[in-house]
Parts: sequence; C-alpha cells; structure tokens
Amino acid sequence: MATMLEQLFYSGPGQAVAGKLGLPEPETLRRGRVNPSGPVAVTSLTGSSLGSDTLALLGVAASAALVDDGDEPPAYPARLGALVVDARGLTLLPQLEGLRAALRPAVKSMEPSGRIIVLADDEVSGLEAHAVRQALDGINRTVGKELRRGATTNLIYVRPGTGATDLASTLSFLLQGRSAFVDGQSWTVGPAAATSAVRERPLTDRIVVVTGAARGIGAQIATVAARDGATVVCVDVPAGGEALAALTNQLGGTALQLDITAADAGERIAAQVASRYGDDARIHAMVHNAGITRDKLLVNTDAARWAAVVEVNLAAQLRMNVALLDGRPGGLADDGRLVSIASTSGIAGNRGQANYAASKAGVVGLVRALAPELAGRGITVNAVAPGFIETEMTAKIPFVQREVFRRTNSLGQGGNPIDVAETIGYFLDPASAGVTGQVVRVCGQNLVGA
Amino acid sequence: MNAPRSAVIVGGNRTPFVKAGGAYAEASNLDLLTAALDGLAARFGLAGRQLDEVAGGAVLKHSADFNLTREAVLGSALAPTTPAVDLQQACGTGLETVIYLHNKISLGQAEVGIGAGVDSASDAPIVVTNRLRRAILAANRAKTVPTRLAALSAIRPAHLMPVAPQVVEPRTGLSMGEHQAATTKRWGITRQAQDELALASHQHLAAAWASGFFDDLVTGYLGVTRDGLLRADTSREKLAALKPVFGGVDGTMTAGNSTALTDGAATVLLAEEGWASANGLPRLARIVDAQVAAVDHTAGDDLLLAPAHAVARLLARQGMSLGDFEFYELHEAFASTVLATMAAWESAAYCRESLGLPDALGSIDRDRLNVNGSSLAAGHPFAATGGRIVASLAKQLHAHGSGARGLVSICAAGGQGVVAILEAV
Amino acid sequence: MEIRELAAMPAMGPLFARALVPSLRRGPARVPEHAVRVAGLSQDRARLADYDRVCGFAIRDEVPPTWLHVLTFPLHVALLSDPSSSVRLAGVVHVSNRMRLHRPVTAAERLDATVHIEGLRPHQRGALFDLVGEIRVGDELVWDGVSTYLAPGAVVPGEPVEVPKPEFTVSDPIAQWRLPADLGKQYRRVSGDPNPIHTTVIAAKAFGFARPIIHGMWTHARLLAGFEARLPHTYEVEVSFTKPILLPGKVGAWWRPDGVNWAAAATTPDGSKPYLVMAVRS
Repeated sequence: MATMLEQLFYSGPGQAVAGKLGLPEPETLRRGRVNPSGPVAVTSLTGSSLGSDTLALLGVAASAALVDDGDEPPAYPARLGALVVDARGLTLLPQLEGLRAALRPAVKSMEPSGRIIVLADDEVSGLEAHAVRQALDGINRTVGKELRRGATTNLIYVRPGTGATDLASTLSFLLQGRSAFVDGQSWTVGPAAATSAVRERPLTDRIVVVTGAARGIGAQIATVAARDGATVVCVDVPAGGEALAALTNQLGGTALQLDITAADAGERIAAQVASRYGDDARIHAMVHNAGITRDKLLVNTDAARWAAVVEVNLAAQLRMNVALLDGRPGGLADDGRLVSIASTSGIAGNRGQANYAASKAGVVGLVRALAPELAGRGITVNAVAPGFIETEMTAKIPFVQREVFRRTNSLGQGGNPIDVAETIGYFLDPASAGVTGQVVRVCGQNLVGA
Repeated sequence: MNAPRSAVIVGGNRTPFVKAGGAYAEASNLDLLTAALDGLAARFGLAGRQLDEVAGGAVLKHSADFNLTREAVLGSALAPTTPAVDLQQACGTGLETVIYLHNKISLGQAEVGIGAGVDSASDAPIVVTNRLRRAILAANRAKTVPTRLAALSAIRPAHLMPVAPQVVEPRTGLSMGEHQAATTKRWGITRQAQDELALASHQHLAAAWASGFFDDLVTGYLGVTRDGLLRADTSREKLAALKPVFGGVDGTMTAGNSTALTDGAATVLLAEEGWASANGLPRLARIVDAQVAAVDHTAGDDLLLAPAHAVARLLARQGMSLGDFEFYELHEAFASTVLATMAAWESAAYCRESLGLPDALGSIDRDRLNVNGSSLAAGHPFAATGGRIVASLAKQLHAHGSGARGLVSICAAGGQGVVAILEAV
Repeated sequence: MEIRELAAMPAMGPLFARALVPSLRRGPARVPEHAVRVAGLSQDRARLADYDRVCGFAIRDEVPPTWLHVLTFPLHVALLSDPSSSVRLAGVVHVSNRMRLHRPVTAAERLDATVHIEGLRPHQRGALFDLVGEIRVGDELVWDGVSTYLAPGAVVPGEPVEVPKPEFTVSDPIAQWRLPADLGKQYRRVSGDPNPIHTTVIAAKAFGFARPIIHGMWTHARLLAGFEARLPHTYEVEVSFTKPILLPGKVGAWWRPDGVNWAAAATTPDGSKPYLVMAVRS
C-alpha cells in the first residue's frame, strides 16, 4: 500500500497531485566540492576583515555586498552565489540593522543552493552584546526557513585569535556543495596551533578508520574519505563481510571484521593499522559511525534492548578511544580526529527511542567533554547529528510518516548519506584543526530538536 | 650471497562453508572463489594490486572452467594482470597450492601469491553420456552433411540421459566411505571413539566462532555468516542415535562422524618474509617443509592412510619427532580417518612394515588436535579444506608465540596424502 | 588338419541364427574336424577403443589379450554352426579360458587368426570341448587361447572327466563394480557376440536365468583391467567361470600378487562366493 502510494506521488500525474497537495518537487541540491555558480559577495559590519581575508585565502573572488537602504532593495546584477557577512564586533542591538540591510537584497537574489554565511564573535561581554550574539542565531534560523530552492544559511561563531587559515576549511565547506544539507545551523571555530592549507585531497597519505562501514552512511563516509585521499580501514561486524569487502576493494583500503563491542576492539583496530601500514603508522581519524536502533516505547523497553543500544552506540566508542589514545602503534595520531555520530533524536528526543536518544545525547556530552581534554594533543573531537537521511533504514518507515519526516525541514527533502559524509570529511580535514567540540546537525534545518 | 628466502603465511580468507544444495546452491565454483579472493583482497588491501601468482583449484570442475582460477582473478578486485594456475590433487588441492607458492617464493620466482581452493558439490558437473559425446564429436568431424547426419543418427534417446559425476574411486569402484569402512574395521576404530572426535570437532569450532577467532579468517557470502554444518548443540546422545551409513548394518560410520558434501572456497595469502614486512603485511607462520605420499589402495592398502606415510618421511627429513608440535591439524574426512592415522603411528607393526621405521612413530596429544574444529563440524568442500586449515593454523600458531610449530595432514582421494609443517614467525 | 580359409571374418548374425537351431542328429556328439582361418585381419581402432571403455582398459596401442580372443570369436561361431557339428553354440556354457600373450600386439598389426576344436570329452552334465585359437603376425605366434565349453546333454563315450574346482580363498574385495542393466548390450556392441541371453529377459529365462547375464569374457576382461598396469609384459591368464552374474548387479573384485604371478577373482560383493577365478602366470 505504501509503495503504491509512493509510486503514485512520484509518477507524472502523481507529481501534479502532490504539487496541489502542497508537496513541491524538491530542489536538486548542489553537492560535492563545487563552489556556487553565481558571484560571491562579502560585507563586514564593523570593519573585521576575517571574512574577506578567508575568501581571499581560498581564492574566491568576492565583490562588495549590496546594502538595502530603502523600500525596494537593490538588485544584484546576477543571481547571487553566496553572501558572507562578517558580523564580528557587533555589540549593540542597532547594529543588527546592518545585517538586515545586507541580507535583504541577497535573499531576494539568491541562486538555487546559494549560501549565506554569517561570522560572529563567540566570546562577547556585556548584556547587550550577549543579546546581540543570540539574536544572530534567531536571524540565521529564520532566514534558513525563508530561503528557497536549496539555499542555506549558517552562522559561525569565531573565537578570539582565529585567523583566516583557521577559518578557511569551514568557509570552504559552507560555500561548497559539501554542506548541502546543513542549514540554519551555528557552530564555533577557534584558533589552532597548526593548520594546513585547504586542499582538494586533504587526506592524502592519511589513515581513516570508519566503523559500520559496510553500508549506508558508513559506506559513504569511507567513500568520501577515500575521495579526499585517505587510506581507509573499513570496519564492520563479521556478518557484514561481503558488502564490506566489496566496498573496501572499491576504495582500495583494508577491511576489518570486528564486533566493536568486543573488549579489545580498539586494540584490534590499532593492531590492524600497525600490521598493514607499519608500526609507525597512526590513525589520522577515527569515525565512530557504527550504531543500531532497537525502537520501542519506554514502557516496552526491556534491559536487553536498552543495553544493546547504549553498548554499541556509546560504550563501545568510549572503550575504543581509550585504547586508541594510549600512544600504541596504530593508535590515533596527535593532531588526529575523532568523530562520532549523534542524532537529532539525541538532541530533541524521539518517541519510541529512549535508548537511542540516550546513546546519541551521550555522544554529544562525550564530544564536549573530550574536546578540551585532547586539545593539547591537537586532536579534535566532533560529532554530526543527522536528521532525516535517505537510507535503507529510513526506507522502512511507512510512507506517509516518512514523507512527513522528509518534508518537515527548510529544504523540503531528505538528506543523502553523502551529506553526512561530507560534513565528517570537513571535520577530518587537517585544515579543520580549529573545529573541535562541535556538534553539527545535518538535517536541512529539521523542525525537530531546534 | 643472497639471504635465504622463506615464504610466510600472511593470512587467509574463506567463505563460510555450507551444506551442498543449501545457501550456495546457485553459486558456481567461479562465484565462490571470486568471493573468497575479494574478501582476502579487502582484508589485506590488495585491490588493484598485481600479485605474482594465484594458484587455485577445484575437485569437481566443469570442463568450461579449464581456467577457473584465472577467471576468478579476472572477476576479483585483484589486478587483472595477476596470473593464475589451476592445480588439482583431490582433497589435497588447497594445501598443494600453498606448497606450490611456498616453493616458488623460496626459489625467488615469486614474492607474493595466493593459494586457493574451492568446491561446490551443488555445482557438480553433469556430463553427457559417452555415446552422445562421441556421436557429437563424430558429427563435428564430419565434412559432409550426409556423414554428419549419419553420425547424429547414432544418437538414441538413452544417450541423452545426463550422467552425474562418479563419487567412487575409479579403480576400485568403492566410494571413499566404503574404503574407510574397511579401514575402520581393520583398525578396530569404535563408534564411540568416532563420535567423541566428532563431538570435539563441533565443540571446538563452536568455541572458535564464539570467541571471534574467525573474524579475520572468514567473510560472509550470500547472507551466510557462519559455517552452516556446525551443530553447536550436538551431543554424545544425538551422535549415538544416528544410523550407520557405511560399513553395513554393523557399521560404525554415521552422517555425524563423516563429512557431508559441502560448498565453499578458501584462500591463503603467502609472501616472501622480507617482502611481507617491507609491505606492512602480517607474518603469521613460515612453511617449514611439506611432503606428499601415496598408498596403493588398488592393491588393498587403506585408502586414506597416505598422510601417515607422508608424515613419517617429513619428520625423518626434518629430524623431528611426532611430539614436536604445539598443534596438529588432521583433516577429518571421517572421524575414523583421524583415529586410524593416529593408530597407525602408534602401531609398531605398521610403522615397521608399512612405513619402514624401526619402531612406532608415537602418539599425539589429543588436546592439541584440531583445536579450532575441523572438517566434521566445518564441512569439507574438497579443494577448500587445505586453505581453511592453513590459515587457521597459522593464526593459532602466531597467537601461541614465535617458534610454535604445527603439523597439517590431509588425506586425498586416489590414496594420497599431503602434509606440511608450519612454524610461527 | 584341413584349414578352411575365409576371405573375411564371417558376419555373426546369420551364423548365430544357424548356431541357435538345435542339431537334429542323434547319437554321439560330433564337432568339426577342420580349422577355420582368416588372414590379414586388420583391427578396427574405434571398436577397440569402445571395447577398452566397456571393459575398463586404458586405451592404448597395445591391445589386451582378451581383445584378441574377441577377434577370434566369429570363428568359434563359424565352427559351431558348421553342418559337421552336432553341438550348437546356443546352450553351451563357457566354463574356462586360458590364453597366452606371447608378445605385446599393437592395434596396427595385421593378424592371421585360426581356430579349431579339440578335446571333446565326456562330463557329468554332457560333453566338454576346447576351441583353440591362434593369432600370428606373419609366422610369429603372438597369442593363443583355449576356450573350454560345456555342451549340456551331449553324449560322448567314456568315463566323465572330473573338472577340478579352481582354488578360491575368501577375501575382502578391494574393488566394487556396479554392472548396469544394459551392460550386456554394451558388450554385445564391442564383442559382436549376439547371444540374446545377455540382453533380453525372455532369452535369459529360456535358459533358466531370472535376468540377463553378463558375458563371461566381459568379467574376465574387467578383472584383468583392474590391475593391468601391474601385469607383466607377456603372460598367460587362466580363468574359471564358476557362476553367472545377473544384470544389473554388484560385484566385488580382488587381485593380489603371488610371487611373479597374480591371483584374482570376481566375487559376490561380500567376497564370499566367486563368479570368476583368475590366475595370471608370467
């Protein structure tokens, strides 16, 4: 029944009906390492040059943004690819008018899959400045909901001392199609001790370990890491063997069949890395992607269901991190990357997912606690929180429910596994050394967990 | 002078083994072997790599699969410029491919290669009758239409019946089970002893699976993730309740203490020791030496006792004794094969008369025998058994510690035996 | 002895039809006194290959001695369908056979084959007689064979001679043959022996067998093929046919060296009773 309904909606006449029902055909999002096609405009509200410096570092030509000063906003001569607003130094409420004036013409002229990127100070002092800081978030979220045709807006809080090299990977990620399904979000970037230049294949000669790599989002994470130059170690349960082998061979990595809940899982990952790539080899990035769901309403959740989810999604990575961080051969390198997968369910809660939400919220707590602890070793710790992503798992949700999930975000569609993978790729980039302790939602600005 | 070269086992990969006609019923030898090679390539990062050679084989082989291993390489993730050879020595095939590569590597003719074996009893070649084959060949030879028609007119409906492969020894007309039944009787191997061995095989294999021993030795295939013949819950009572299938009504050999027809494929990655370390590959165990032997079952010798002879010669050459091993892998074609082989080594009379030794070769510690299970529990896809054993033993030896030695013994159809010594690096 | 030269091997069908017709003569049994001979016989390699396959021999240039017997068989039939013979082939029983290969014979050689009958002698159940064959290449005797038949009910004056029972020891078979129901037809094709007792149930029942029986000379050949690789270069092989084998059937077989000689037998599957007992002497 669900399938029939789905077929009806996506058939020619069905699409017409769907349109009448208020279900517009979703925009095809710009994806990959592709910059906006239209011109990029930049403006600074208080004289900070960080935005324009970073664009210059990236080699992106930017013109001055148009500013609205009347009833009719000025029109950009061509569809605008992106607007970067450097709003650092904003401390007074009236200064927000500058943001409005820059945004109004840009939103009007924004090309499909265009970008608005707002830079703001992370640390402010004074009551009004705090109000301004938070106001920016409200504006960002609203603009995200008003932008159409796959255009997105995101807000980056910048810590003191952050330079263009620290910010470059973030700005590049946001401008490019890699951030297609990241919308209405805000996170923080800080200064880093050592940062690499932004490159096309930033992970060349680096080892990336991905758990749960055999299929779905994990396979896509491994694929993107390999595309970005990494040697991937694909980890999945022994039962996933055939798909794991096929993917690994395609990516030219090595496969490790491993139950991550085994007590020695971290040791075995390190041993595999040391044995395949030499005792001097270290893991550049560990992506804790493996996860399971055992959904039931809390009243129906027994201890086994509870334990299984918490064990796989949270406890296992805690244990693996201990082994990988103890300096053993094949462990995580200094200046390395730890990435976990949280979930909008963990942020907002979700009916029938108490165990899952616990584990995923736990991931958020873990990231926040571990990041400062490992900052001294140059290791960053981050998480993505996917919203509705089109996978085998979400394909099992009944159609109507799925259609609701899929549509209730600012982009009017579900994300693809590659959107999660690209966001992780951004964390993995050696140039992202200044991004740590962050949880970035890849949800198309889903209503849930806002 | 060049440093002595030695071949090491880097690791292995196999499909889970399943009963013939089961989950792999639709899979051919080629499919199974390709899957096993792909799993190995993934485990060791060999995708796109050109290896020096892949040696593989199958016992039940279609004539169309004359280049089975090469075709599997072409279908796999390995570089298509990797050459391959088909070898066949009945159930000794898998071990023989490993020995072949060991020899090439030791001689400097290769640095890295794969020994492999596959068998699908589900995909056994069904052939046409001799009469039909000859009529068709005659028709193909015919130069004129009338002679061709005349040749084809020799075909009778009965000639069109397909012929299933013979599972008997061609020169004796006896199946392997019938031969082994005679051996079982001759050596006085009891039903109870056979069932005990079968039970141990299942228990050991089940424990190995439970402990994750096979996590880096097996890659799932067609949704199967564990050996299908394994009965973790079998018991003395269940085994004792089975009816004899060989040796008549008084026979002691049952479906429980004999191997079943099995589908599966197994591979072993070998490399020159220095090359393996330079290329960041594990070095689990060296192949110390190997030996083949044959008995004359067409004159009444015990068909499956050739390994007893091969081991005697191998130990003599190496100046070792039967007790010098941490682990023993005696292929369980039948429980009674293992028991009769051990009985032969313990028999001073047999060792003197048949092996030419001054006294009994000795006995082996049963606690070191087939510690991760063997063919009774895992199944026995003929040519794949050698690869299964070598990879598992190499891992076991490596875990035990440097210098640990293991003995592999595999009996084969035609009264042959292939044996080898491995030593942990 | 008069030798009647035949231009070619006689066709067996018509001869056999005649050989099946019972003799009307009464009184003491008589057998032809002349010999029959075919010279310059060439061997059909395709038929030889077929023979080898049906009997289990490896196909090679040197022919099995039993094949040379098969080549002389039409001459047996010719003699036993001769008007001078009161004994007809139909109904006679092949009780033993002895043949000697004097040197290996190849399939390329042209052969001169001669057969005569001798040794007509009384037996408790009738009369025994020997068909003696010789094969020469030029002047060289390369093979000779004696097939001893029993003609049940035939009358020969004198005291019945005792035929010694062949020596047989019960042994575990080392080989097992599964004889298919159509084996008689297969062997008829390669041997030319059209005796329907081997191929049809009706004929078999007419002679007192529940089912067709396999030709004794097939059993002979099959057993020899079992250890052909170990046979000496030249040898004599003697067999006694002790019991017919019904088709289809399962037969045990064993062979073992006895000094430079060999003993062998085709037996019941359990090895307890012999169908054929063989001795090979070098």
